[in-house]
Amino acid sequence: MGEGEKLFKPLDPLLHSELRLAVMSILLEASEADFVYLKSETGATSGNLSVQIDKLQQAGYIEVSKGFKGKMPQTVCRITDQGRSAFAAYVEALRSYIGK
Amino acid sequence: MVYKINYFIFASNSDSGPVRNGSGKGSGNQLNDKEMENNFSVENSLRLITETIERSRSTIVKNAGKPLIVWGFLVSLTSVIIYFLWKYAGGPVWNFLWFAMTAVGMLCMYFMERNREKAPQSEIGRILGKIWMWFGIFATGVFALVWVAFFIKTAVTPGATVRLDLTLVISLMMGLCGAISGSVINRKVISICSVVATACSTLWLLISAEGSPERILCFALLGFLALVIPGIILQKEGGR
Repeated sequence: MGEGEKLFKPLDPLLHSELRLAVMSILLEASEADFVYLKSETGATSGNLSVQIDKLQQAGYIEVSKGFKGKMPQTVCRITDQGRSAFAAYVEALRSYIGK
Repeated sequence: MVYKINYFIFASNSDSGPVRNGSGKGSGNQLNDKEMENNFSVENSLRLITETIERSRSTIVKNAGKPLIVWGFLVSLTSVIIYFLWKYAGGPVWNFLWFAMTAVGMLCMYFMERNREKAPQSEIGRILGKIWMWFGIFATGVFALVWVAFFIKTAVTPGATVRLDLTLVISLMMGLCGAISGSVINRKVISICSVVATACSTLWLLISAEGSPERILCFALLGFLALVIPGIILQKEGGR
């Protein structure tokens, strides 16, 4: 085990990705956000965003519900309590790096 | 210096990562997942989180200004209209115009919501909405209760009166909700405006004669000081 691994807290690999972190940051502030909004805010492609949302959902960090807004299909994402805890732990781990 | 953690490698300098300004809004600079993970530094992670949250908060502040201005003007205007009608054309029955004001306000909110910048409701925005929703429920409830009590009492005992200073109760509730809202969105100026507005309206109630139409003007003061001024401040802040 290297020195760095002893000194610094490990970062959650699921959150340490630019797009997934951006999605989690948006959902942390918003009570819920739909797919179109997340896409416009992150500048991601639909395919890439879909994959990352799926990963976050499988980890239990977000909930995804599909419905309709008028006649248009709508995918709404919400952060879960588990997601909030993971995000808090991730920020705490980041601080351990910056503080050194 | 290079930190190695799990399977990620982070460079210690802050400009090593691919974080796009404002988390990449509209940049179209797509990176695949592997590229992101390999180049995403600790500093850039923190910057991305901060920028995303700050942008979201500024949208909230910007969106919070207009409703305050609309409701503030409506409250002030209704208060002045009721004052004149009460004094020169009837009596306190004109207070029922508050219900009409509520309907007009709701209609304005509906159209504003439709034309609003597309953004999801934030947690803070949701909390603010709940605070003012409960103010509306309490104010309407107290108002309705007083009038129901008045009608029942006068039906049983003609000429009876109900002695409850509704203006003081509602102005205190309004000031309190304004001060709490200011604290929630971390804008001291709004809390200060609410405290000053409540103090001014209470002073006005103390110097005006009990049961006189002049007392209703305390809402004009409250509407302007606790809603319109903070709304203009927020609007200017959001427009920067």
